[in-house]
Amino acid sequence: MRAQPKKKKKVDVRKEQAQKDRMKKKIKKLEKAAPEMIPIEDFVTPLKYSDSNRVRSLPPLSFEETERRVLLMKKWCLFKMKQDKAEKNAIQALVEAQQEALKELRLESEELYQAAIRRDEGLFPFERDGPNHTPPLPGYDPPEGKCIDITKVYTQ
Amino acid sequence: GGALVSCHRHYRSRPTHGIGRFQYLLPKEAPKKKKDKVQMKEINVGTEYEYGDVNIYMTSYDMCLVEHFAQYVHKLCNRLSVKVNESYAMPTKTNEVQLLEERGSKLQLDAILTTHQRVVQISGLSSTFAPILLEIIQNNQPEGVHLLVKEHTEADFKSRLKSRPELEELLAQMN
Repeated sequence: MRAQPKKKKKVDVRKEQAQKDRMKKKIKKLEKAAPEMIPIEDFVTPLKYSDSNRVRSLPPLSFEETERRVLLMKKWCLFKMKQDKAEKNAIQALVEAQQEALKELRLESEELYQAAIRRDEGLFPFERDGPNHTPPLPGYDPPEGKCIDITKVYTQ
Repeated sequence: GGALVSCHRHYRSRPTHGIGRFQYLLPKEAPKKKKDKVQMKEINVGTEYEYGDVNIYMTSYDMCLVEHFAQYVHKLCNRLSVKVNESYAMPTKTNEVQLLEERGSKLQLDAILTTHQRVVQISGLSSTFAPILLEIIQNNQPEGVHLLVKEHTEADFKSRLKSRPELEELLAQMN
């Protein structure tokens, strides 16, 4: 009569401790394995592009055509180089103007200069959509539907 | 004999002993760890304030465009001597778009769209230069590419790792 409740307590405590130890061992085993990165599907060529032997056969180009293309490429290269140089000069001018303005500000007042040098907390997160090809249509009625996310979920 | 003539090593007593050694001059490489290091966060506070690790996320449906833009941003940062920590890709998301047909019979058309995301992680961006860099990136942003610039957090790093449901279940049971 007296012994039964004592046995229950001891047995329960022991069982619970044994369970906890087993769970801790399992957790340790799982934690030993290093976390893996999710594989990126972009970098895996799908099989259907690797097996076929289809080769595109282009017709041979005439001399005038090749000359025209080479000269066009040269003009394009020159144009892009000028564009790039203009961009670099613009960046240089921006940075120089900024530095000059900060120097002048420093001469004006030290406090304002210190406040200007500080980083902007409201800058990040910064979000912007790319420019659109056409402006939005005024009376456009989009079709109804839904998007289902079918991304493959990888588990370790 | 032929063996002695072809031997390039000089004898130990000769002054030319050890000529040609150079491996001891090279900087020692740290041994490669197989485990991923969690993260390195820079101190954000300083006199000339600098931002810590900043992630530039570029998202689009067009993979080539977003990859080329990511390469452009990486090269731009190199050119402007902004330190680039990493340049990686986030896993692609696939969406199945189903539209309701207008002709009464409620069939649903299908289209599969893949969203690609590339990340360039920079650090040590000075507070005066940050708006200039953002301006340049915005000017060259192609259409269809969504730009997001935010600070790097541990949650961002963990989103790249595989989920471990068993471990999470056991941890929940423990607590």
